[in-house]
Amino acid sequence: MDDSITDADIVVVGGGSAGCTAAIRAQEHLPRGRVVLLEKAHIKRSGAIAIGMDGLNNAIIPGHATPEQYVKEITMANDGIVNQESVLAYAQKSFAMIQKLDRWGVKFQKTETGDFDVKKVHHNGTYVLPMPEGYDLKKILTRLIKRAGVRIANRVMATRLLTERGRVAGVLGFDVRDGHFCVIRAKTVILCCGASGRLGLPASGYLYGTYENPANAGDGYSLAYHAGAELTGIECFQINPLIKDYNGPACAYVTGPLGGHTVNAHGHRFIQSDYWSGQMMLEFYRELHSPNGPVYLKLNHLAPETLTEIERVLHRTERPSRGRFHEGRGTHYADDLVEMHISEIGLCSGHSASGVWVNEHGETTVPGLYAAGDMACVPHNYLLGALTYGEICADRALSYIGGVAEPALDAEQVERERLRLLKPLGRATGIPHHQFEYKIRRLVNDYLQPPKTAARLGIGLSHFMRAEEELEQVGAANPHELMRVIECHFIRDCAEMAARASLFRTESRWGLYHYRLDYPEMNDDQWFVHVNVAKGQDGRMQLFTRPVAPYVVALSDDEMKGYHRLRIAAPAAPVERRGAEA
Amino acid sequence: MSEIDHRERVKSDQAKRIGNAHTSGRFDVPVVVDLTKCITGCRICIDSCPVDCLAVNPETHKAHMKHDECWYCLACELDCPKDAIVVKIPFLLR
Repeated sequence: MDDSITDADIVVVGGGSAGCTAAIRAQEHLPRGRVVLLEKAHIKRSGAIAIGMDGLNNAIIPGHATPEQYVKEITMANDGIVNQESVLAYAQKSFAMIQKLDRWGVKFQKTETGDFDVKKVHHNGTYVLPMPEGYDLKKILTRLIKRAGVRIANRVMATRLLTERGRVAGVLGFDVRDGHFCVIRAKTVILCCGASGRLGLPASGYLYGTYENPANAGDGYSLAYHAGAELTGIECFQINPLIKDYNGPACAYVTGPLGGHTVNAHGHRFIQSDYWSGQMMLEFYRELHSPNGPVYLKLNHLAPETLTEIERVLHRTERPSRGRFHEGRGTHYADDLVEMHISEIGLCSGHSASGVWVNEHGETTVPGLYAAGDMACVPHNYLLGALTYGEICADRALSYIGGVAEPALDAEQVERERLRLLKPLGRATGIPHHQFEYKIRRLVNDYLQPPKTAARLGIGLSHFMRAEEELEQVGAANPHELMRVIECHFIRDCAEMAARASLFRTESRWGLYHYRLDYPEMNDDQWFVHVNVAKGQDGRMQLFTRPVAPYVVALSDDEMKGYHRLRIAAPAAPVERRGAEA
Repeated sequence: MSEIDHRERVKSDQAKRIGNAHTSGRFDVPVVVDLTKCITGCRICIDSCPVDCLAVNPETHKAHMKHDECWYCLACELDCPKDAIVVKIPFLLR
């Protein structure tokens, strides 16, 4: 393994949504500075929005919503366990990001008078801003990043962070095509590695048929953990309502404002709001496993021109192969209900709340280390949260680098990582990565998928500890396979965290996300706290609590229970077709 | 100890320590490349793939799906300048 050693002021790991805005901002404010962006794919098509996005799910547009209203909604959707300061920072700074995206050429849906055409999907507020032509988003970001002069290293995967006396000192990794070992000495690192999306196994059994972009294997969770950072809310899993087998969004944010909704097998509505929350997912789960199951997306009552509009958006952005899937099955929105299912579990703060602990400046608990996007815990942060927090992290990193000296390169840490990476290459005929991965993710499904119990979680945990030994048998015949083997390490780390955090919180919270059959009630007296995970002095995983910081936006007791009333009060009759035939 | 018990003990002990055996298999993969349209030397689709599952086939010198790791995201199909790629939904999901 040949070395390449680079010096940098700021290294951004991951060139998705958060990584792009972080790198652009950092380089613009540091014209002569060394900003390096590592991307294990290629920045033109990487991250969760490789193929664009159909809308902003949490836009706080003056005149439609206020930051305080939004903070309230996210607080109640998370059963109170939020650091409101970090949600408020997003709420206050994100409109400027929308205006910037608008200037950059991202096409938002506007009214005839030129205002942003915001739609209501959430339980209370109005926050969804459609981007029917959002397929250009990643191309625009890529163009800006090149124009800013950021040093881009495509196909380089970060595998460990360097530290020096408790602060971050750089990144280690390798080129997933030629196997070059990369050593980057840096004053600051901004982690933007996306979700832990390859944790549970999709019901189809297909390893790469995940909801999240499968390149997002929990890299950031593992990198931050091994560097000593705290993670939080890991037990608040991501579980989404998806098109069965296809495993892509249905998608409430596109179809909801146009009249689509979720129904049971009788064609009846059963939830008031299709906004993705743990409480909504619990009602979805109950309906799915009741005599009324399964659950469907209902569009067949809509007018033909509305269906054309829905298809135009759904079949061109985010997951454009949706149409091909329906075509293959002979499903037509105009005539058929679309069968839905719940996704495999994952960790993702973009949708739920599991991630690296960050404050309102994007700072982790390790000096010089920042995190943004799906992997950083700012609950329900979505795409706009990633774009906004990328900039927030860059601003903080820029002010930090002035006050610190160049870190020294610790040869021992470098050597240890080189040997760790060489080991799988030394046993090319070992267990193939895909067999290891299938097995651990199947075990994640068997033992971590809610509803949870202590006994089941405990068995899962013992399997994940055994998997640590099994990893010593997994081999790689080339750098591509080595990438997959190291991802298996990330997946195992995340599975262990998910089991331990779920065992630790002996109550139920966030609807289905942390539904414990052995502790079915929410217990605010004992558990109105964050549960955090960090690597202890002995190298083992430690669990502990952190108090919820005093609220900056107060909620009444009644407001706090707002998301506990998602099931509709009385049975509803199916909606009949309107429009042309009506 | 009976002979069968003894044999099982020897075999289970060997099973713990012995190396791995392999087989080669055939996989149906989603990315289908039209070799008459694909340009030799062009690597656009290979760069586009977020999971790096495409590569140049050393036999044909054209792009092909090398690893069974496709997310059916269509990046390769959309970015191909010669419209040489069709991405099918993976068989397990179809």
